[in-house]
Amino acid sequence: MAKEVEDEDYIDIDDTGPEGLKGADGGYAWEEEYKRSWDVIQEDESGSLQSAVQGIQEQLKRKRRLRDTTAIQRGIIRHVILVIDGSENMGTRDMRPTRIAATLQILESFVNEYFDQNPISQLAIISTKDGLAEKLTDLSGNPLDHVNALRDKSNKDLAGEPSLQNALELAMHTLRRAPTHGSREIVCIFGSLTTCDPGDIKQTQAALKHAEVRVSMVQLAAEVQVFKRICQETNGLFAVADDEIHLKDMLFECIPPPPVVSAKATSDMIQMGFPIRASNAQVPTPCVCHHELSFSGYICPRCRSKVCSLPTDCDVCGLPLVSAPHLARSYHHLFPEENYREIDVEVHSGAEHSGAGLVCFGCEGEVKGAAARYQCPRCRKEFCLECDVFIHETLHNCPGCV
Amino acid sequence: MRFYIDDLPVIFPYDYVYPEQYRYMCGLKKSLDSKGHCMLEMPSGTGKTVSLLSLIIAYQQFYPGRRKLVYCSRTVPEIDKALEELKRLIAYRREHGCEDKDFLGLGLTSRRNLCIHDRVRKERKGKVVDAKCREMTSSWVRRKAQEEPEIELCGFFEKMAEVDPADLLPSGVYTMDDLMDYGRDAGYCPYYLSRRVIPLADVIIYSYHYMLDPKVAELVSKEFSRDSIIVFDEAHNIDSTCIESLSIDLTNYTLRNSSVSVQKLAERVTEIKQQDSQRLQDEYQRLVEGLRDASLMREEDAVLTNPTLPDDVLTEAVPGNIRRAEHFVMFLKRFVEYLKARMRVMHVVAETTPSFLQHVREITYIERKPLRFCAERLASLIRTLELTDLEEFSSLAKVAEFATLCATYDTGFMVLFEPFESDQSTVPNPVLHLACLDAAIAIRPVFQRFHTVIITSGTLSPMDMYPRMLEFTPAVQESFTMTLARQCFAPLVVTRGSDQVTISSKFEVRNDPAVVRNFGNLLIEMSKSVPDGIVAFFPSYLYMESIVSMWNEIGVLRDVWKHKLIFVETPDAAETSVALQNYRTACDNGRGAILLSVARGKVSEGIDFDHNYGRAGHHYTESRILKARLEYLRETHQIRENDFLTFDAIRHASQCVGRVLRGKTDYGLMVLADKRYSRADKRSKMPRWIQECMTETSLNLSTDMAVGLTRKFLKLMAKPFDTKAQLGISMWSNEHIVQHGGRADIPMEIGEN
Repeated sequence: MAKEVEDEDYIDIDDTGPEGLKGADGGYAWEEEYKRSWDVIQEDESGSLQSAVQGIQEQLKRKRRLRDTTAIQRGIIRHVILVIDGSENMGTRDMRPTRIAATLQILESFVNEYFDQNPISQLAIISTKDGLAEKLTDLSGNPLDHVNALRDKSNKDLAGEPSLQNALELAMHTLRRAPTHGSREIVCIFGSLTTCDPGDIKQTQAALKHAEVRVSMVQLAAEVQVFKRICQETNGLFAVADDEIHLKDMLFECIPPPPVVSAKATSDMIQMGFPIRASNAQVPTPCVCHHELSFSGYICPRCRSKVCSLPTDCDVCGLPLVSAPHLARSYHHLFPEENYREIDVEVHSGAEHSGAGLVCFGCEGEVKGAAARYQCPRCRKEFCLECDVFIHETLHNCPGCV
Repeated sequence: MRFYIDDLPVIFPYDYVYPEQYRYMCGLKKSLDSKGHCMLEMPSGTGKTVSLLSLIIAYQQFYPGRRKLVYCSRTVPEIDKALEELKRLIAYRREHGCEDKDFLGLGLTSRRNLCIHDRVRKERKGKVVDAKCREMTSSWVRRKAQEEPEIELCGFFEKMAEVDPADLLPSGVYTMDDLMDYGRDAGYCPYYLSRRVIPLADVIIYSYHYMLDPKVAELVSKEFSRDSIIVFDEAHNIDSTCIESLSIDLTNYTLRNSSVSVQKLAERVTEIKQQDSQRLQDEYQRLVEGLRDASLMREEDAVLTNPTLPDDVLTEAVPGNIRRAEHFVMFLKRFVEYLKARMRVMHVVAETTPSFLQHVREITYIERKPLRFCAERLASLIRTLELTDLEEFSSLAKVAEFATLCATYDTGFMVLFEPFESDQSTVPNPVLHLACLDAAIAIRPVFQRFHTVIITSGTLSPMDMYPRMLEFTPAVQESFTMTLARQCFAPLVVTRGSDQVTISSKFEVRNDPAVVRNFGNLLIEMSKSVPDGIVAFFPSYLYMESIVSMWNEIGVLRDVWKHKLIFVETPDAAETSVALQNYRTACDNGRGAILLSVARGKVSEGIDFDHNYGRAGHHYTESRILKARLEYLRETHQIRENDFLTFDAIRHASQCVGRVLRGKTDYGLMVLADKRYSRADKRSKMPRWIQECMTETSLNLSTDMAVGLTRKFLKLMAKPFDTKAQLGISMWSNEHIVQHGGRADIPMEIGEN
């Protein structure tokens, strides 16, 4: 991921909409250190702040845009366990309304985004409180199950201290059943600075390393030695979130599949079924997954049973069922679209495009003189910033090259 | 890397040098050139030791004369660390083409740490090991063993005794473990090996006491040449070490033991008299001639002077009334009985040494002069009587030393008698202190003897205090700050609780429930928002006990327990080390822990808390000895009491908070919870590197404000930090040195990479 970019501290001015009164550490602005935010912003020649504000926004967008585009082997069939801290510390109000509420909300969009980008992967959710770990959902590929589990009110009942060790052990136990060709990951969100463990967490750490499980963590408060060590040892990411936005950014870094480092990962063939859509049925038939009557559905090519949504594993014969677009969507991680080059406006605007702004190849809108434009290195078509972000984050294909 | 300071090529065993290290080396070089003393302050964790060693070794090897380096450190682990560093440096120098022919560097420590004798090394107490070793190695035992073969001797020692010192140890650097391994392989005793090769070594690393304690210095440090370079590292407490080395406490236990020893001496004297009266006669003759040898040596300026052996004692003969062994034994007996009588008094007595001597004379008719020879005479008698178990006579030796010091110095010492341990206790536990008030007495010979004495530490501020206390004139006196690419530590001064009640550990208010509660709340809040470890320092054990019991009553501890485990330092070293070990484990496995410890205790000195965080509460202690010392300082050095108290308190506080930060990538938080720290006059006494980080916003905080800042700071510090960002700012490569006006070997660097 674009590590070097996130190192730069982007300008954290306090006029970010309705939450303006709130400082970065969650206290009110008046509790915070005195900050001369107006010194950071520079007026342009006409004395307007417009361009400065625009600059800041563009900076933010660009930050998310730059990605590592080298083609490396990534495991596109993933098994991710989400671990949520349910301890009392999650009730702290440095995120609005509380840490846990903010986290659950962000996790919902995380789950959706995760399945959108990794349609043939699976997810499970574990929550830890009172020194225990509890499984909220089992490994499955259906985003609805997880979102419903996250919306469960009882998630907001906080109690005691979390136990990282119990959570990791449970996650490992869950992952044990996952097939070897998929990657195994654990993503934790912790607000607590302690972990209340029954045994030696170093053994768990060793076991995780042995099982090649990648542990990533987003901390909401501060860097804790043991958490960081586990993440580093297992090649995961460790980050401390400043606020909700940062938390989301950090969490979403876990969405693209990580590179494969495992020695066990072999490029074996994997059996997969591409079911046919059962459309023109006269009578509703029950599906094998929910036992509900419906007209539509997908027929497993091996056992001919009907499932109601894709992607999933066939409940009867266990064959992974996907559709071709799903597979294609997962595919873009392996061959990511190259980053566009930013074109220096000063140099460019001389001969070719004198006077009139450039027309963006994507949206066919006109790019204003001063705004930056971006060029695809392969087809040399030029795009505006919005299209650039859209192409890289959603489309994953360059319209010019296609 | 390799660069030049003036014309001196320095080889530095890392690829980058910190700017302050470079400046530090420049300062050091200046004082070595001028052959003067120097005082250098540089923050802990910036690699003082390695800069010191690389410059001095370079200096030693480059200029003729090969000035010997004597490096004094505080604890055994620190000595070992320095040795490791030296070993690394020498290996690196060798890689870079410096031959360093016949270089020998080694450490010196007690028998207990070095003994490899199967039976003796199993003993745990240092003194027992010493005694058992002497039983097998002292000259008369060995002489006797030639006649009676059943006496056991130490094989390691015997084997070494036959070899010439020059052939004992091949050149190189030896850590303690290396030395023991070598001893095992070659069959030599590592302890005596190290002592014997001291005159040949280029670098010797040992503890302060070997230089400052007159008894030990006599044995090991006496013969260093005048141009040796003496370094006192971590020297912020050097004055206390000096004072301790000359202060003596006598208890009932000591006196009882002394009586027993005197009795033994008497028996032994009669025994010897019957067997071999000639021996006693010889001794008598020797004593008539006086301590002429010692006096000759001193005139030739060959040795380090011993403060317990003042000049005029040397020129005179031992007084007649203690020359005979039996007379001297009687004399001792009388003196011990006198002291015992003094112990029965039930009120505090503080008097000067002349008034004490006056009293002695009135009661016992013991004159001042024989008392002055007491220690010397006892040593001579023990030698004559061929007693091996010196441990048995240690109490008596203490009494004799007490007598000698009392009789020698009119000023600078104080005799203080305290019948009770504390003001509250009713059971008498009398202690007779001979308190040394003048740190200069112990260290004066060192400054006089050697051209260059280097005093260095992380916290020496305010720097003008040390030259005054220790009576020396530094040629170079500098304080270096830490250059940082990011602000990696945050001092916060908390002056009031969330309820705006002022908090202070000032004596008058510190037991106030509101203050205690606010301290407690601060601890709870901190334990909530700080990860891993917290170290909390209290001004004294007594205060810590009282405040912890109060916290227990009002439920503070229960709240803290939810977040972190609590460990407490006690005066007992073994208990503390267990607590410390568990504390580390708790931090390691993520449970988090708080260590409650005392600012002058073991934890605040020499134990590092990297990646953990410290919090310091502080106040000024008062004890009778301190009071006496204050008066003395005022009279002789024109140091005002308040100045010294502030100095002492601030120095301990800085030392405590200095524990937090060990290196530039580390980060830490320092909370100073006392109203007094927000005052400018107190703050200006802090070391410059801490002062610079104290901004207006971090002063005069209430608990909730401090917590807000803490959270923010911790989040900021958790951002990934690239070491490359330090380059040029807080780390210099050769190019940067050139940029800043230095000289460096750039081509060589490139050639090697």
